Amino acid sequence: MARYGMVIDTRKCVGCYACRVSCQMQNELPVEESYIKFYEKETGVFPNVKNEIIPVQCQHCEDAPCVSVCPTKATYTTDEGIVLVDADKCIGCKYCMVACHYGARTQDHNTGVVEKCRFCAELVAEGKQPACVSTCISNARIFGDLDDPNSEVSKAIVKMNAQPLRPDLGKAKIYYVR
Amino acid sequence: MVWGTIIAAYLFLAGLSAGAFLTSSYAARKYPDAKTVRVVGRLISPILMGIGLLLLIVDAEAGLKDPLRFIYLFTNFSSVMTIGTYFISFFMMAAAYIALMELLKKDTNKIVEYVGIVFAVATAIYTGFLIGVIGAVPLWNTAILPILFVVSAFSTGIAGTMLVSALLDKKVVHHVMSLKKIHLTLLVAEVFLIFTMFLITSSTNESAAQSVSMLLTGEYSALFWFGLIVAGLILPITIEALELWNSKKLHQTPAGLEVAASGSHGIAATLITESAVLAGGFILRYLLLAAAVPVIFL
Repeated sequence: MARYGMVIDTRKCVGCYACRVSCQMQNELPVEESYIKFYEKETGVFPNVKNEIIPVQCQHCEDAPCVSVCPTKATYTTDEGIVLVDADKCIGCKYCMVACHYGARTQDHNTGVVEKCRFCAELVAEGKQPACVSTCISNARIFGDLDDPNSEVSKAIVKMNAQPLRPDLGKAKIYYVR
Repeated sequence: MVWGTIIAAYLFLAGLSAGAFLTSSYAARKYPDAKTVRVVGRLISPILMGIGLLLLIVDAEAGLKDPLRFIYLFTNFSSVMTIGTYFISFFMMAAAYIALMELLKKDTNKIVEYVGIVFAVATAIYTGFLIGVIGAVPLWNTAILPILFVVSAFSTGIAGTMLVSALLDKKVVHHVMSLKKIHLTLLVAEVFLIFTMFLITSSTNESAAQSVSMLLTGEYSALFWFGLIVAGLILPITIEALELWNSKKLHQTPAGLEVAASGSHGIAATLITESAVLAGGFILRYLLLAAAVPVIFL
């Protein structure tokens, strides 16, 4: 059984928002709703400064707080480690939105159901890559099986010393190169 | 603000309802002749909880559109919300039964009342645990918050019961002095708990420190100082303390004892105090939800 994860190389990210648009298309989201949010972080003092662009979406935590707080078990983790929402069970209480460390969840304005990045589970089941990965113009995103030491993603994590955003906050499965 | 005014009102009403139930149980034992307090507490408790639950259902939009989904609320035992759903269900059943018996003027089953007392306390604690376990919001994620919520729940419960009782029976509020003493203690404890929480939590975490400064000096400082601290706590503490002091002085002379027994004082002080406590109880919960600064993950 695979255990899916991702690497995002922020050094390669140009902030073109292509991943966000492809995600919105894949998930049929309106323009104002999105599962990928962009943050900018400045470090250093002029003239020695660095500006990072950090795309953030559901980190598919192994010990996800959204899964444990969801009172209806609408949010669950698949055998492949993807955190999903069963839209037929969600009551829209927003407890998961409050509990998420990464502010990765949004509420559908029409149905009231809370949704988020699904690692494009239906594409992955067909052996394809998630939409944000295949569309990324600078190949800043790598997706694959974290349990397979020879997968591209596993090698990239080791080679570039990729780390979760806040390893102390939980076992996130998106690793960032910064 | 993911959780806003509606959830603040729900947390307030759940605590108030649990507190009113406990107040009535206490009054039934300690003051069997203060019937109004007992009846009022027992009647308002399930009504207020009911209003709170309606608010919750309205806020849970996806469930509102497909109400059968609410059954799933009983399924995830690792969620405080599921545990709370059980607590509230048991509490509501007991409170509704006891209110019904009161309306029918029948004796209540003691065991049901004890079950009600246990789940009233559980409901009050749960409202604190619900947001207390959220690690993503350091302001809430403290051990003291559930205790603060319980103290505030009991305090607003006494206030709500006394307010309605005073309107129905002007004399009764002067008979239940020990209830006033408990109330005063709870209010003083609340001030202490609020500032303890703020001091400790703001020294442990940057987000919590931001939340605390939003409340003390920032965006919400006017509501915090004037609404919660002055109107919701200091004012009722002052009036309640003066009332207790006066009643103590009255009881020292036979003539005073007669005045006290006749209950000829007005109810203005009670109305002001209890309304202020209720307003403060809501403001406390509103502010804690509004000032929720999430952890920094970048």
